[in-house]
Amino acid sequence: MSRENLDKFNNAVSAILGVAADEVVDSLSSESVDSWDSLNHINLIGALEQEFGVMLPTESIASFQSVAGLKSLLADHGVEL
Amino acid sequence: MTVHSPDESSPAQIATRIADALAEVNDAPTLVKIGHAARGLRPLAPSQPLAPVRLACLGSFTMNPLADALFLAGVGAGMNIDPYFAPYGQFDRALIDPSSGLGVSNATVVLLAVRLPDVCPALYEEFASLDESAATRLIDDWIARLASAIHSFRARNAAPIFMLDYESPIIPALGAADRTASPSQVAVIARANDELRRIAREIPNVRVMEYDALIARHGRRTWADARLAAYARIPIAQANYWSFARFVVSHLRPMLGLSKKVLVLDADHTLWGGVIGDVGPAGIALGPDYPGNCFVAFQKRILDLQRRGVVLCLASKNEESVVLDVLRNHSSMVLREQHFAAIRVNWDPKPGNVAQMARDLNLGLDSFVFLDDSPVECQMMRQALPDVLSICLPKEPAELPGVIDSLDCFEQFSISEEDRRRGALYRAEVGRRSLEADVVDLPTFYRRLEMVMTLAVDNPMDAHRAAQMAARTNQFNMNTVRHSEDDIRRFIASERHHVITLALADRFGDNGVVGLAIVEKTPDEWTITTLLMSCRVLGRTVEHGLIKWIAARARSCGAERLTGLFVPTTKNKPFAPFYESCGFACVAGSSPERWTLPLRTADTNVPDWLRIVVNGGAKKA
Repeated sequence: MSRENLDKFNNAVSAILGVAADEVVDSLSSESVDSWDSLNHINLIGALEQEFGVMLPTESIASFQSVAGLKSLLADHGVEL
Repeated sequence: MTVHSPDESSPAQIATRIADALAEVNDAPTLVKIGHAARGLRPLAPSQPLAPVRLACLGSFTMNPLADALFLAGVGAGMNIDPYFAPYGQFDRALIDPSSGLGVSNATVVLLAVRLPDVCPALYEEFASLDESAATRLIDDWIARLASAIHSFRARNAAPIFMLDYESPIIPALGAADRTASPSQVAVIARANDELRRIAREIPNVRVMEYDALIARHGRRTWADARLAAYARIPIAQANYWSFARFVVSHLRPMLGLSKKVLVLDADHTLWGGVIGDVGPAGIALGPDYPGNCFVAFQKRILDLQRRGVVLCLASKNEESVVLDVLRNHSSMVLREQHFAAIRVNWDPKPGNVAQMARDLNLGLDSFVFLDDSPVECQMMRQALPDVLSICLPKEPAELPGVIDSLDCFEQFSISEEDRRRGALYRAEVGRRSLEADVVDLPTFYRRLEMVMTLAVDNPMDAHRAAQMAARTNQFNMNTVRHSEDDIRRFIASERHHVITLALADRFGDNGVVGLAIVEKTPDEWTITTLLMSCRVLGRTVEHGLIKWIAARARSCGAERLTGLFVPTTKNKPFAPFYESCGFACVAGSSPERWTLPLRTADTNVPDWLRIVVNGGAKKA
């Protein structure tokens, strides 16, 4: 797990959802975070694409609404967290 | 940027933090930077003198994800945008239905973001199967529907409406044959745009924003992200949110009087390549070949800004004689001494020089833009004068002209004769100030100016300029009501009102129309409902001359009292002592403040140094 990538990931989640970067944990999900609605999720996927220079599948906009899910999605696309 | 708690800092420190955060976002407007900056600045915004804007976004597509970018771009332009997003696709219901909710009925501005591909999809998706009459009918039906929705809104709400114009397809449906085909897709869309502009001409306070040109500037292929458009109906790629937000905000600036007015330029590495003090006039890069041609092109773009009304200043750390020699004698210089309203070449820190320019020109620092190649100078300016928009220039000379093209902070809805002459007007102002410095007493100074005030009463020819002044004047403005040109025309036509414009000439030149008063008349009382004056002419007793003239006129019409109102804003402090200095008394407890002048005893003698010429006034007694 790359520390730099993890910081970048936490920073992105924090910027879009408004949770503090050090409170971004795997168990966070759209169920537990109020600001994690479908529109913010779109911005979150976009932010991760911009930060890591990857293109994520369109279906990911509709699913993976948890920190753990996003991390495994990024891992599938070659981003080691 | 780091989120700080707002309570420990002064408003000036907060202003610097905001300017830094915005510079960082402008540098690389990623969603993460926009998100962090918007979150950081939201709690700080209330401490700043930002103009509140309730922006109702009525779109044919999803606009909510743009909320942070809109807010942030607004803060960068001096406004606090509180966006309301009408339910997706309900733009015409929101316009027509009076009960469509507070978000629309309370809006101070309506952004009508309707894309033609959303409302007439056949024009974009199956154009080749349409014949001429079918294509025409689609456009006519849509335009009729749009016009009636806007009319219906306008009948109950005066809020300005901004509409996006219609985009061209990435590639015309008929390919290379499109332009000669009948119907041509590009021509049909152009006609729809003509119709859109007709609506804007015919319905008051409706304007068109050139969205198609924005898309073209960024590249049609990459403006939208096909995945986002298909999945979430967001036809703007996330990488372009910031551009779109700035585009919207640049159109709100002139409406709110928040357009910049002054461009301060550095000299070395900015107007020319190299350091003049080191290499001398023969050694600087300025001429027909790279990199000199980039600086020539840059100067030409700047001169064009000056010719549309932007005031230029020069702030350089150099020996003054050396820089003046280049301005006067270098054969490839485009910008010459006479193009600059103020030149300060010395070794003092630049913020002090810029502050002095603001005083000399009598313009607010928040109307200044500062361009410098040095990140250190830009940082210093943001630190000392956060109200100044500081932009750091790229190192690559070829990129310089593009910087001017991307400045969206000087926007005006129209360019007047006064704009074209502004550079000369401000230079004359500097001449007047040097005269003032020579003279012992003010009356002598005033007499030497040889001022002639020309008052025009109810002249429709002045409506355009009057509206422009209402939009731009912040400091000497009694209530900062931004009358539109249509508003002014209504007052001119009204029997109960007079619209008085004031033009001022003196031995240094003609200042053009610089003042505006609107009075509302009853038999007993004349009430001044608008009074403003360009700061360029303040301090020359012209404003007092105008009030005395209005008072004399009111008295000759039989009125007992002249009343003036005052609504303080963050910017119009210069107005505050004015009524008292004219002999008005404040009505105790009035809100907004009402000041009255009993006309029977009022002194209406205009000082001997002001000659008044009156034009018009024949419309009504």
